[in-house]
Amino acid sequence: MNARHITIIAKKEFQGLNHEKTILLAVLLQLFVAMFSSFLMVGLTSMYDPSSLSAATRVRYGIALVGANTTLDRYLGERADFQVYRMDLSTGIAALEERKLAAVIYVPPTPPDAREPVQVTLYTLQNDIQTAVVQVKLKEVLLEYEEDLREERRPRLSSTPLDVRFPAGQKTEGFYEFVYGLLIPLLVFMPAIIASSLIIDMITEEYQHNTLETLVSTPVSFAEVVWGKVLACELLVPVQAGAWLLLLAINGIRVENPLPVLFLVSLSSLALILLSALTALHYRERTAAQFIYSTALVVVILVVIAIPGNPLNVIVRAVTGSPGMDLAGTLAIVGIGAMALGYVTHRYAERIGRLAQLGT
Amino acid sequence: MGVLSSVLTIARWEVKRSFTTLGRNVLPVAVVLFLLLMLATGFTARSGMHLQDGIYSLGIDDPGLSAILGGDARFRVFSGDSGTLRAYRGSYDLVIVEGAVLRPLSERGRAAEKTLERDYARYVSSVYNREQDLFAAYPLWIDLRAVKSELSFDATQSGQYLSLQQRSGESPVPEGTVAVVATPAPQLPVPEEALREGLMQEEGTPDQLRRYTGLFSQEPEYQNFRTPSQLSPPLPFDSIIFVFAFIFPLYFTSQFFMMSVMHERIERKGEVLLASPVAPSVIIAGKMLPYLLGMVGISTAVILAAGAPLTVLLPLFPVILFFLASALLIGMISRSFKELSFISIFFSTVATTYLFFPSIFAQVHVISLISPLTLIVLQLQGEGFTAGQYMYSTALFYLTSGVLFFAGTVNFNAERLFSELAFFPRVREFIAATLSRDHPFRSVFLANILLIPFIFMVQMMALVLFFNLPLPWSLLLLIGAAAFIEEFAKSIGVYTLFFEGDARPGIRTLVLASAATGAGFLVGEKLFLFAMLTQITDSVFGSVLFLQQGVLLLWLPLLLHITGVLAVSLVLRAGGKRWYLPGLLAATVIHGLYNLYFILGWMR
Repeated sequence: MNARHITIIAKKEFQGLNHEKTILLAVLLQLFVAMFSSFLMVGLTSMYDPSSLSAATRVRYGIALVGANTTLDRYLGERADFQVYRMDLSTGIAALEERKLAAVIYVPPTPPDAREPVQVTLYTLQNDIQTAVVQVKLKEVLLEYEEDLREERRPRLSSTPLDVRFPAGQKTEGFYEFVYGLLIPLLVFMPAIIASSLIIDMITEEYQHNTLETLVSTPVSFAEVVWGKVLACELLVPVQAGAWLLLLAINGIRVENPLPVLFLVSLSSLALILLSALTALHYRERTAAQFIYSTALVVVILVVIAIPGNPLNVIVRAVTGSPGMDLAGTLAIVGIGAMALGYVTHRYAERIGRLAQLGT
Repeated sequence: MGVLSSVLTIARWEVKRSFTTLGRNVLPVAVVLFLLLMLATGFTARSGMHLQDGIYSLGIDDPGLSAILGGDARFRVFSGDSGTLRAYRGSYDLVIVEGAVLRPLSERGRAAEKTLERDYARYVSSVYNREQDLFAAYPLWIDLRAVKSELSFDATQSGQYLSLQQRSGESPVPEGTVAVVATPAPQLPVPEEALREGLMQEEGTPDQLRRYTGLFSQEPEYQNFRTPSQLSPPLPFDSIIFVFAFIFPLYFTSQFFMMSVMHERIERKGEVLLASPVAPSVIIAGKMLPYLLGMVGISTAVILAAGAPLTVLLPLFPVILFFLASALLIGMISRSFKELSFISIFFSTVATTYLFFPSIFAQVHVISLISPLTLIVLQLQGEGFTAGQYMYSTALFYLTSGVLFFAGTVNFNAERLFSELAFFPRVREFIAATLSRDHPFRSVFLANILLIPFIFMVQMMALVLFFNLPLPWSLLLLIGAAAFIEEFAKSIGVYTLFFEGDARPGIRTLVLASAATGAGFLVGEKLFLFAMLTQITDSVFGSVLFLQQGVLLLWLPLLLHITGVLAVSLVLRAGGKRWYLPGLLAATVIHGLYNLYFILGWMR
């Protein structure tokens, strides 16, 4: 093994990437995804919380109330975000269809302590994002009304659940769990997946263009060629993942422990890259190698995600700054795995190199 | 007959070839991997996703409560007495003391509170579900009825939703006719035990999962009746499941076609095929046929497995064609495997975005119809779609696939396939091949007509991107983007044909070429608009893209289109190729100002 040979090969691969302008495409892709997701966030938050759109005007949803008089009237009337109208059912629904109302509620004359339940009919617009907002707000009111009715029927219940009181107040729809628990691990691992599919291309290309013999006849050994390619792919990962963290920070999403996260991502992707290098060395043909590798990758990801304390979970806990994570232990386990894969890859490449030199 | 049999022969070769490359080693491994995949899915389903384990810390003084709430792996639960917990409140995300949740101090704390609220609600319902008297535990049932109303583009013109009311005491009066709606029956039509069964079933499965599994299968009757705590807002992410179920396999299979096209170019292997006395179109059709059949077969299998109606295949078909056409060109253009990977990843991201984002707004807005995926959503919801809607959302896919296939066929020759040029010159070569040097003006004219569907596709994407934003930003950004896209597209023909190498065409030629470009663009646009898209063109957003209102005469837009290209080509002529981008921006500014003037004039 000669470190200089490896860097020469890595440099050659970088030059290839640079020459083909494929790096440019990768950067474009990243920007495109970042732009789209930030626009999506703006769109979604403005739809979930329409008051952010028009802060000056007080937004009120029109609700038609039909049928019996109950405590529901009072709860609805108390809310600042509803405008309640007493209407008859047919007119209310016609107004709803024309979007002059957000919902129509029909309350039956069932007495609160009756044997049968009170069955309220709620008419809303089908599959409307605004309906989602109205339903969330109505749910709070309906829960209050349900509690009243349940109190009336309390003697008929045999047990009561333990009580937990939540602080009162407006709750905004947050995306915390979605952003930190799903989006960030996906984004930082995307470069790893791209890099591991890249090494298949680099290795199978040598086979399919018959450039392997030329390469082996140089002082560079085949194992060194493979390691050089691995190095080139591996170097891309922290750069791209780092760019994601930077883009997130620009979007106002703060990430804790960026350096350990980048280190863990790089180490995990080294394992993935070695795995795909092995696949490529075995199949020597792109279609087969990519097919087998991507299927295997899905299996690996499924299994890894099901194990408590997996690297993805460690990343989630690291970026949220949750203490008590076993970062060092995970790094050690992933590192040992990568080293084992590295050893297998090295031996395999050496064997192929020997066979190639023998001319078989 | 001769053509058909050659197509079939080549298709047979293609199948044989792909089986020999994949054959021996791959199939057994693929079978093993497939079995492993089933096992892994089962394992993950049993053990659950451990992605968000321990992201929140929770301090509780009551051991009974911590036993109940500790079941959620997202919480790390710490017990302590109320005094210490209160004192060290800041070191936990959330603290429960004497049965009360203390107001969280951080963003993570607020997220934790939401999660805890859901967990607590689940616990409470698990207690109530076992009550003898179910209607004492759940005295209120809500019968959800959906009322259909489609938002037209007019509704967003004021930048506000109509049902947001100002403070006023008067009830709204419907403008249309009032249909008589019967008063709902006061009794639940579902027996008590069926409701209890429904409640029990829900205990295990979290909301999200139930929504997705329920998407394909018909929901049981009791699902329409909910208790208030079961009212979960319909999240607009359902369509991503369709992307995975329907689009992803198609994308995957098209990769094989891409690779097969690429394969012909490695070490000039395809020369034999090219030397045979069949037309390039026949070779392409033959090579593509197995993949087309395979993709239709896979889609049918997915549809049958999901229990969906087979009509879902109709909107999928143009998507399949589009994927194959793009795969053909990507396979022909990229010079190395790396390039193939990157271009195909890029393409799939953009295509997925185009398909996925509009369908989020299915049934909310007519804009959602620009994605065929929306038709699938509609079909699965049992509503179906009309022939007009089908036209509207698939026409762009049919047309662009047609143009891409044409470009592929024209370029399917030895000179182009085995060329060693860099990426951008190669793309330029491909475009140049579709243009005729002997009839430059005519071909520029025709090329611009053919470009129209692509322009519309990109502009639609810009529309989807920007229409979320509040006015006037959505409008201004759209004006800029639309003008840039159009000017870029128009300049392609002139750039490839007249500025080859160091060519420096005369002013007269450029004026004529610009006139041909402008005319072609206008004709294509009008033809296309005439055929469809009337829904969008009537709105303020439509007028940005297509500028219909206020300009009845045709000569004004014609003049604008000509001026735009002319500006770019004159800048190119004076400054050389380095000035392409500044020229383009100048043309965009002219175009944007023109649009702005007319839209503002029209809005006034």
